[in-house]
Amino acid sequence: MSANSISYKKPLLETPFHEKTREKCYAHDWYRWAGYKAVNQYTSAELEYTSMRNTAGVIDISPMHKYSVKGKDAKKFINKLITRDITNIQPHQVVYGIWCNEDGFVIDDGTVFCFDENNYRICSGERNLNWFEDTAIGYDVKIEDVSHSIAALAFQGPLSCKILHMLNANNIEKLKPFYFDQFTINDQKITISRTGFSGDLGYELWCDPSQAHDVWDALFSFNKDYKILAAGLNALDMVRVEAGFIVVNADLIAAEHALRPNRMRTPFELGLAWMVNLDKEYFNGKKALIKQKNRGVEKKLVGLDVQGDKPAVGSVLYSKSKKEIGIVTAAMWSPSLKSNIAIGYVDKENMKLGTKILAEIYHPEELEYRKIWANCKVVKKQFFINERRNAVPAFI
Amino acid sequence: MSKFDAVIIGGGHNGLVCASYLSKKGYKTVVLEKNEKLGGLANYGSSLNGMSSKVLQELQIDLPQLTNKSYVVALDDEQQHTIIHNDGSKTSFHATNASIENQKKFIALIDKYKLYSSTLSTLMHDTPPRLKSGNSSDTWKLITMGWKVRKLGKKNMREFLRVLGLNIADELEDNLDDKNLMGLIAHEAVLGSNLGPRSPGSVLTLLYKQAIQGGLFSSEKYDFHQLIPSLEKNCLEQGVEIKNNTSVKKIITAHNKATGVLLESGDTIEGSIIISNADPKTTYFKLLGTEPLDTDFIRRAKNFRAKGNVAKFTITLDEKPIIKNIDKDMMNARFVYAPSINYIEKAFNASKYNKYEKNLCFEFQHCENTIVANVNYVPYVQNTSYDKEQLTQQCIDLLQPFIANLNITKAEFSSPNDMADKYNVSGGQWNHGEFEIDQMLMMRPFYGSAQYSTPIENLYLCGAGTHPNGSITGINGRNAAKKIIGDKK
Repeated sequence: MSANSISYKKPLLETPFHEKTREKCYAHDWYRWAGYKAVNQYTSAELEYTSMRNTAGVIDISPMHKYSVKGKDAKKFINKLITRDITNIQPHQVVYGIWCNEDGFVIDDGTVFCFDENNYRICSGERNLNWFEDTAIGYDVKIEDVSHSIAALAFQGPLSCKILHMLNANNIEKLKPFYFDQFTINDQKITISRTGFSGDLGYELWCDPSQAHDVWDALFSFNKDYKILAAGLNALDMVRVEAGFIVVNADLIAAEHALRPNRMRTPFELGLAWMVNLDKEYFNGKKALIKQKNRGVEKKLVGLDVQGDKPAVGSVLYSKSKKEIGIVTAAMWSPSLKSNIAIGYVDKENMKLGTKILAEIYHPEELEYRKIWANCKVVKKQFFINERRNAVPAFI
Repeated sequence: MSKFDAVIIGGGHNGLVCASYLSKKGYKTVVLEKNEKLGGLANYGSSLNGMSSKVLQELQIDLPQLTNKSYVVALDDEQQHTIIHNDGSKTSFHATNASIENQKKFIALIDKYKLYSSTLSTLMHDTPPRLKSGNSSDTWKLITMGWKVRKLGKKNMREFLRVLGLNIADELEDNLDDKNLMGLIAHEAVLGSNLGPRSPGSVLTLLYKQAIQGGLFSSEKYDFHQLIPSLEKNCLEQGVEIKNNTSVKKIITAHNKATGVLLESGDTIEGSIIISNADPKTTYFKLLGTEPLDTDFIRRAKNFRAKGNVAKFTITLDEKPIIKNIDKDMMNARFVYAPSINYIEKAFNASKYNKYEKNLCFEFQHCENTIVANVNYVPYVQNTSYDKEQLTQQCIDLLQPFIANLNITKAEFSSPNDMADKYNVSGGQWNHGEFEIDQMLMMRPFYGSAQYSTPIENLYLCGAGTHPNGSITGINGRNAAKKIIGDKK
């Protein structure tokens, strides 16, 4: 880590898996993630995507921000921070949460890991230390940024459990979704949680940076038969759209980043009403969210089943009467579903499931574009649903 | 356990005024004061006295008016003091060694400020309007405010808007060239705020102070020592219950509503409305606790600037003080020592770094054998205590050249830290919060807490941290009471 900490000498930091990922990254296609060098694609995004849907894909998620939250009031603090109620959270449980500002606008989302009553970890996409510390004023809690001291891999796909099982991770198949525990693989004691971003069976592996290489090698040790692949951001983005997961600063602008006041979004507008517990005595944004619940939303993020096979990337959405009603935030041709899918905002007249709308697609074709008026149907965001995801014991 | 309609935390002048108004409207009211003596910081504020005559009139308090002429003396190192006289409407020189030209310019400047401050005073007795509320009365208030500015006339309006954001040093250097006179006005502009003469916005501070107090050099209209006892008497007549030596530990809330207070003694007092006369930071962080508050709100509360800079120095002599070169009949004057802009700025500069200069500014008045001085700048410094002995000696050395018979029998120095401890006021700030353009009017104390209300239902503020600000006017208490009565209709 010492070379890494001198950031002016090495403008982009290298994750604990860097030697391994570099080896596999034929495309040399890197991007910047929280100051780290991370892989966009190793060879081809489609191939990596296919591994995640058919065998398993390994994604280096070490740059993710991780905050340790410890102290007598840790649970109280998190309950104030996020919109869900974690009063009944158990040790070894993981809760997906979002947090809002006073106007009920989403700042970020993340996962809360409960180690015990007074010890938690929050993993998030954006930097949140300042927000957490200001939220913690008046609480007996210590918040620490532990991002750099934990190496993490996402291991997603139908064979993920099987491979961990073959690596002698004891009883890994019995681990329930949104739970985590300690396992030993390749002589390394690590933490594995049954969480992930693919909408399929999958795990996230958390270990000390010193264990990183051993863990990585272990996952690939059966590759003669199973052909798992290292996957980059592009492939991850494909699976997450299929699963209907939102990404902060892609599907919504984080409240702390937005420059224009009407660009921020509330959980209700994101279709995350199930994550807001208005019965809780207090949490950030409660008042504003109660107001919005009573008033109803003006726009909503929905799934779209798009006609044809040309992805509606960045498309403007129109009602049947060609009135502008919203915009697409993510779109792709889904190889698994064999359909053209998208996620986007529509106004309140058009957010009911089954509503027919239009997308104006500008499809580039060798320096010219073809304009397509594609019929779309409003559907649920979860396009890819597989019972493997929640099955216990898991598929081995 | 006892139950009241209104529980007021803190028996300062605003708490008492608020209690009296509410009680008049039939609210069963109790005032809880931490200390033995009522009045809080008002006991310190003899020179900030600008008790609103409107409040006194509405509460039917007959405070004896001081008939004797009021003087302000700008002390001079060579003992050639400038004496300014104010007869309520006109300011004139009684004695000075400034040139005739400078005297004229000085009077013209004062008149100009008087005009501008009357423009600012439009909203003093009102709850400041909310922006974008869509409420017609708010819009009307904003229009009134704009109209008042427009009514100055084209030339004056332009000048008014020009000087509003300036620093007082630039403004004075443009208009005068007498060090002593410049020092005097600059001192008025910065005393009690955390500004130096060269800090932007110090002209506005001066105008605003003038608007509140009703004049720059019209000191004490009322006998200050009678103020708190009369307010107390008035409260008792209205049926207000006053509990001294009763310290509040927590404001009790349930479901975002204030329901009562928990005392240090362990008792609880229930109240339909809780009104805090404490400063905003103390109210939110100590009395209420951050739990029911949004993070954005906590950030604003945290960033509310409230650094005290003025120390109080009280000395008792063995006889009435004699000021060198000053006639006996002018001894009721307010004496100011701020010999030049740079002298003040230098003292301020040290305070920025939480230190104090050897050469400080001060102003004092005396009552019988006792001299009470405000010493500027002695900054509030967290977790540090001052070397009192050294500071006491330093203050004596500062006073020495001007007082002929400085035979001290008792000396007491209280730093902003001491005031913070004694009166539970954040940063030992006189005004409960610095007094600057972004912490004024509808932005006082800060967004989400202005207009006397708080994010917690039934919890109100009535202290100096609210509009129209510090100084001893009683308007905060009055406006808060009006707001509460209006809300509960």
